[in-house]
Amino acid sequence: MARLSLTGIRKNFKQVQVLHGVDLQINDREFVVFVGPSGCGKSTLLRLIAGLDPITAGTLHMDGRLMNDVAPHQRGIAMVFQSYALYPHMDVRENMAFGVTIMGLPAAEIAARIDEAARMLQLTELLDRKPRELSGGQRQRVAIARALVRKPQLFLLDEPLSNLDAALRSEVRLEIARLHKQIGGTMIYVTHDQIEAMTLADRIVVMNKGRIEQVGTPRELFETPANTFVAAFIGSPRMALLPVRRQDDGVTLGGGDPVALADLPQGAPQDITIGLRPDAVDIAVGEAGPGFAARAVYTEYLGDDAFTYARLEDGTLAALRTDPNAHIDDGAPLRLRPKPGHVHYFDADNGHRLA
Amino acid sequence: MLNFRLTGRGLWIAFLIIPPLAVMVTFVAYPIVSALAYAFYDWNGLQRGEFVWFENFRIVLFQEPFAEWTRRAFMHNVIVFFSLMVVQNGFGFILAYALWREPFGAAFHRVAVFLPVVLSTVIIGFLWKLFFHPIFGVVNQSLRAVGLDDLAQPWLGQSETALGALIFVNAWAWVGFPTLVFLAGLQRIPPELLDAARMETDNEWILIRKIVWPLIAPSATIVFILLFIGSFNWFELPYIMVGLDGSPFGSTDVLGLYFYRTAFGNQSAGVQDFGQGSALAVLIFAFIAVVAAFWTVRLRRREIQI
Repeated sequence: MARLSLTGIRKNFKQVQVLHGVDLQINDREFVVFVGPSGCGKSTLLRLIAGLDPITAGTLHMDGRLMNDVAPHQRGIAMVFQSYALYPHMDVRENMAFGVTIMGLPAAEIAARIDEAARMLQLTELLDRKPRELSGGQRQRVAIARALVRKPQLFLLDEPLSNLDAALRSEVRLEIARLHKQIGGTMIYVTHDQIEAMTLADRIVVMNKGRIEQVGTPRELFETPANTFVAAFIGSPRMALLPVRRQDDGVTLGGGDPVALADLPQGAPQDITIGLRPDAVDIAVGEAGPGFAARAVYTEYLGDDAFTYARLEDGTLAALRTDPNAHIDDGAPLRLRPKPGHVHYFDADNGHRLA
Repeated sequence: MLNFRLTGRGLWIAFLIIPPLAVMVTFVAYPIVSALAYAFYDWNGLQRGEFVWFENFRIVLFQEPFAEWTRRAFMHNVIVFFSLMVVQNGFGFILAYALWREPFGAAFHRVAVFLPVVLSTVIIGFLWKLFFHPIFGVVNQSLRAVGLDDLAQPWLGQSETALGALIFVNAWAWVGFPTLVFLAGLQRIPPELLDAARMETDNEWILIRKIVWPLIAPSATIVFILLFIGSFNWFELPYIMVGLDGSPFGSTDVLGLYFYRTAFGNQSAGVQDFGQGSALAVLIFAFIAVVAAFWTVRLRRREIQI
């Protein structure tokens, strides 16, 4: 339905550049999630695609057609907003009918589309209600239904779940995933929540400070993060990043003993950053032994899982997955031995992944 | 159950409420009630005569020439109201819509539009009386300067143009008020709502009619009702610019002037009738109160919470 091609997209607000050249291809029927911390430019990029803000430089093509100067309503796009943005003076039916009526569709067609969208999102009972008479979850479903009736080529969703409580959030998240399968449109979804990104996306676009850090499937991002930013951003609890110095076929952290690393990449620079996810180390309790010295700070017990947070010699706090049945005292000395194949290596200077 | 106890908080509330309440009762409630009472008596100057039931009302409403004057003044108020509704509130909305878009120098324009509102009506009246001076006035001088000599007229001196000129001055002076209220209403509309609408159309007219206007209904209610009250209470500006008689030949006579003349007399005639004046005041008050209340309820109903 819609292929999107962004080339060298820049955006300035007055003197401030907020997007510094974004290149991105989005395939037909793909579910792409833009994720990144607040202020990374993900919502701005979405608004440029929608046409709500003008593109400063670069080109936006949809199915080969240049879209830079096409009005938002002519781009074949529907957008779902964080605050739902329902028209408060119209009931649910009127909210859904507004755009398609302007399009000039025949009344029978409009009624049929509204019925269909209402059925898909279980809104049939609510069609005559005003937005203020709906709960947050219902409002969000109306906003999605309003987008559906337009039968757009491309759906844009701007943090659609952030105003919902946690229980509702996972429910609507499933709804969105189901809808994408059912209608098969191209979707771009903006969020700062990496769990939403991981669960929904075909591909994730990680953004930071107006640039794309990495584009890839959730698995690619998790298993081979391109740099320390992506490594720390994707995965929960987050990856610990340790600044280490090479020594022989191992590394030292702070003033500690050298730790052997079997899979240390050849030709790595002297100063590197290694990344350890919670289950990347074997943990031994005690002062001596191989591995990085650390001290347990506290343990979070989560039933099936437990996470022990340990302070390493350079002060880094690392989250470690531990046996929920084993007990580790707060303050206990630990030795953390990296498991081969589980360590991520990055250049300490620029944060890029090494081999 | 209401439970009145003299707590510290209650004392504070009483302390804050009683002085303004006393002022309101003395200078608003008491005069209204006494005017209502006065309207039922025969008056000889300031000397109260007999209780005459609705005689004063009958005279001002049905006995010529008073009835004719009442009708004429009322019709002028109606004209003033509808003209200002179009000119003052219409321009107010257009200006607000323009300022809302933050054009170049928006801050300056906002102040410029609102500035006349803070000027005293006396200053505005005298200023525009000078502007409208048939020979030296800036209006006619400007018209002559651009070759429109035929349009240069004694604006305030002839029946056909006097009321229009007054309406124009009022609109000039007060347009900043509806502008400000509409602008505040516009700025309260959540930006995402407008983005959502822009995703569906770029037709400005549809956006205004279907989205913007319904959302600023509360502002419209305030502006409409206040204009209605102001139009039927219109007094200072005509009093300053055309005098108590609504000159020329009563062509600018409005209820406010007519009431004042009747109750307190004027320099030329010198007659005054407190009873009829009070009857007029009561009628004006009742008309404004009933229509404004009814209309407010109607307008409130179409308002929605954003």
